[in-house]
Amino acid sequence: MILTSANTLENKKIKEYKGLVTGESLIGANIYKDLFSGVRDVVGGRTSRYEEEIKRARDIALESMKEKATQLNANAIIGLKISYDNLGGTMGNTILITAYGTAVFYEENEN
Amino acid sequence: MKIDKQRLGNLQKAFNTIAIGTAAGLAVYAIFLYFHIDIFGWNLGLLFAPLAAGYVETKIAERFIGEDIGAISAFILFLVTVAYGFIINNPTLGYNIITIGSIVIIIQAAIPTFINYFGIVVVVGTLSYLTGFFKENMDKLRNYVRRLRNKPEKEIIDTVSLFSETESNKVLNSQNFIYITSTDPKDLDYDILGFFYVTKIINRNTHIMHLSPEKVEKKHLNDLKHGKDECLIKLADEIKELGGNGVVDLDILYFLNGIGGSEFQIIARGMGIKIKEEHPAF
Repeated sequence: MILTSANTLENKKIKEYKGLVTGESLIGANIYKDLFSGVRDVVGGRTSRYEEEIKRARDIALESMKEKATQLNANAIIGLKISYDNLGGTMGNTILITAYGTAVFYEENEN
Repeated sequence: MKIDKQRLGNLQKAFNTIAIGTAAGLAVYAIFLYFHIDIFGWNLGLLFAPLAAGYVETKIAERFIGEDIGAISAFILFLVTVAYGFIINNPTLGYNIITIGSIVIIIQAAIPTFINYFGIVVVVGTLSYLTGFFKENMDKLRNYVRRLRNKPEKEIIDTVSLFSETESNKVLNSQNFIYITSTDPKDLDYDILGFFYVTKIINRNTHIMHLSPEKVEKKHLNDLKHGKDECLIKLADEIKELGGNGVVDLDILYFLNGIGGSEFQIIARGMGIKIKEEHPAF
């Protein structure tokens, strides 16, 4: 499955537009994680745990999106967009991660 | 083997960086002790030494390793300064139950996450698992709240599980309408009808806050997915009314609105289009 944020696929002919595919995931608040991140912010450490969580959540959103594209018999997703939105939560740490794009079916260019 | 060597090299660098950070923190602590930089007998080195250690370690690690390694020297300095300032350098301290209790509290202050995790999660969790005390009382409390609200929890969660995002996505793409996120699909020949913008507000369901955070988040996520699909159908309906059969440059946006974040706002926007003929790619 090709994923691209571009409008077209280089050296490939888009034969059919299958439609919109989306994937979402949510990172919730965790009191211990939040506290620990707060401590590390003060002493200069990077809050890498959050980065790992965000990456994991993004992977879930992407996988969900790809699964829907497969069900539509698509072999690529173009115009891919990924966004991160803060949706409040107990400490303002509930983050919604959305991935969406257009599922297409392509064939290799003969030339 | 090459990877192992690289990993070993990074580990060596990390140890050196922690050592330098610790040394910097100790130097700062020594200066504060030597010059007696105190407020009401409380040496400010207790605060600034760990900060200096963490800062130096992070800066060096970013420069030579490429990422920080967690400001471990700051924690070391915190333990050192607490041990020296409160325990070793305290002439009135005797070896008794109060001293031991104080040391436990000091360690708790130094590494709160670990101690709290152990104290609350491991010890209390084990006891509650063995005795069943926590579950039994939580069930009673949940039933009590349920009776008060006269709204069974199961009903709320079942409503959530009724929504199938896969089925919803199929419905979305089978209404003689094409959603395209690209700005200008070259394979299609179309006329632009104009800019379309629809919004949908959904309640954040603050009344379900008595549920566990996981259930609340699951409910919110499902509400957002459902709301997004409804918003997209609304967008398609508006474009269809003007004779269109697709949208390009589609954007989906999410916001938290209302007093105290009481509602989610979902926006779908894009350029409505009319694909000119029965195009093979459509």
